[in-house]
Amino acid sequence: MTAVLGSRARVRPWSRRPVPRRGRTSRTPGAFAAIYRLMLRNQASIGRVFAVMALGVGAILLGAAVGLQHTVDPVHDGAELINRYGLTILVPVVTLVFSSSTLGDLIDDRTLVYLWLRPVNRLTVAAAAAGAAMTICLPAVTVPLVICAALTGGGIALVGGTAVAAAVGVVGYCGMFVALGLRFKRALVWGLAYILLWEGYVAKASKTASRLSLRAYTRSVVSQYTGVRLDQAGLTIVAAVLVPVVVGIVFVLLTGRRLKKTAVD
Amino acid sequence: MTATAARTGAIDLGAIGATLEPRPMVEASGVSKWFGDVVAVSEVSFTLGAGVTALLGPNGAGKSTMLRLLAGLVPPDRGELRILGRDPRADIAVLRRIGLVPQQETVFDSQTAFEFVHMAGVLHGIPKPDRAAKQALALVELEHRDPRRLSTYSRGMRQRVKVAQAIVHSPRVIVLDEPLTGLDPRQRRHMTRLFHELGDLGCCVIVSSHVLDEVERFGSNVLVIAQGRLAAEGDFRAIRDLMEDRPHRLRITSDHPHQLAGHLLADGLIMGLELIDARSVVVETNDVHSFRRNVAVVAREIGARLSEVVPLDDDLDSVFRYLVGRP
Ligand SMILES: Nc1ncnc2c1ncn2[C@@H]1O[C@H](COP(=O)(O)OP(=O)(O)OP(=O)(O)O)[C@@H](O)[C@H]1O
Ligand SMILES: [Mg+2]
Repeated sequence: MTAVLGSRARVRPWSRRPVPRRGRTSRTPGAFAAIYRLMLRNQASIGRVFAVMALGVGAILLGAAVGLQHTVDPVHDGAELINRYGLTILVPVVTLVFSSSTLGDLIDDRTLVYLWLRPVNRLTVAAAAAGAAMTICLPAVTVPLVICAALTGGGIALVGGTAVAAAVGVVGYCGMFVALGLRFKRALVWGLAYILLWEGYVAKASKTASRLSLRAYTRSVVSQYTGVRLDQAGLTIVAAVLVPVVVGIVFVLLTGRRLKKTAVD
Repeated sequence: MTATAARTGAIDLGAIGATLEPRPMVEASGVSKWFGDVVAVSEVSFTLGAGVTALLGPNGAGKSTMLRLLAGLVPPDRGELRILGRDPRADIAVLRRIGLVPQQETVFDSQTAFEFVHMAGVLHGIPKPDRAAKQALALVELEHRDPRRLSTYSRGMRQRVKVAQAIVHSPRVIVLDEPLTGLDPRQRRHMTRLFHELGDLGCCVIVSSHVLDEVERFGSNVLVIAQGRLAAEGDFRAIRDLMEDRPHRLRITSDHPHQLAGHLLADGLIMGLELIDARSVVVETNDVHSFRRNVAVVAREIGARLSEVVPLDDDLDSVFRYLVGRP
């Protein structure tokens, strides 16, 4: 019988290698990069890219339509468009699609085990997932919205406000929806329910509920930049920028914690 | 850390203990796991050292659940698990010394075989993931230069990639859930040999299967699990005898079946019989070995032609039911 392992076994007596001490998990250089790259590649499906491009082209067309009307107050109309379409639909829906699937897909097809089995800090996995989602979503929503804002004729304040609002929105929503993908089997449905029902209806009813929806913050950014009064948008610029970022970070931490405790299929 | 290590501040002797003292590499004590109302694993205890151990049981017996418990993928509801003296769920550092081939076929479809195995090496923090990935793929006879994505791989090829990712970091405890499914006979032999060599190197290799013949080739140590309980444990031959040491029913087809059965009964080789038709009878025996040895002899003595002897309940299920039902 010929040996399968051959000389390798003699060179490396694997069975004699000691077990690393407890808690020694951080010494996996390249773990973040490897997981991040994997997540990016997993996300690049034709269907998703196409859907996102359609939404982006929609934003640009709407912006052009508003711009061509030459209204009396282009700043106001532009801000309303960015608010109603960009911050209400485009930003949350695109981030939902790409974020909830980072970990959610791995759970659905039972490949999470190949990340979970490794001695990698669970927070690294969560951060890589959120990082990959943001890498895709930031350009996917910011670029069309900025073009849209420019086409409305709302000026540099609207363009700047839109860029900042979209970016902080992406950070907040990405963290939130990565966590949602880990927590729920039908994360898309739950995410849409949050966007449409909570942010769309409940948040309008009370001030507290409004503070608990990210849209209030992204709107406030646009409102503060342009001086246009928008519905449920009375927050200071500092709060409006900081809170979504903090929300994103907190949800990444929660995702790491949940990964640690989760039962893997 | 052990007291010695604390004093010297150097090597943690407790961690290398497995090679210095015969401490078990895998320890399960009173482990139970249930999913809702379903008890998947119930009060299972065993210890394992180096070498190949087969985990044998019919579908739904709880093999995969047991292996997932060992790898720390799920927490036990009761009892304790220790891998190399550590709790694999509480202490993820011990994952560096564990390799797992899960039962599911899915892998990262967007990657190539090399990328998949290389990534496993990187995440395990090994110093030369490139070289290790190439070696691991060579061990399962896959080409590391293959540019195709894993989505195009056949079932058997995926199975081999899964084995490669489980050994790329030279683990000490290797857990494989039905690793031979989808492999052709030559690959089966190759894998079986690989598992044995790993066992001989001092690794604790645990392989699950629901096929008795397969287990025979895995080697001598067997854990039989049925309905979540450990039904038998020990040497393969002892377990095989245990399985055979029970009433067996066989159908005999012959030109003089009744006469033949009468003689077998008179000789004490069978306990009971049931006439089926003019050519066949069903007999029951408690000692299937001596029955098989002697049935042809008796037939020859009385001048009967024996066309067929078919075991009626040799399927594993009935064997397991019998084992579990034992007091
Ligand atoms: N995640 C789960 N949720 C609910 N029930 C489960 C889960 N995993 C396993 N079970 C149940 O636990 C029992 C044991 O399942 P397990 O997969 O461990 O069996 P097995 O011996 O591996 O079977 P097979 O040979 O078919 O792979 C089965 O009744 C199964 O339905
Ligand atoms: Mg199974």
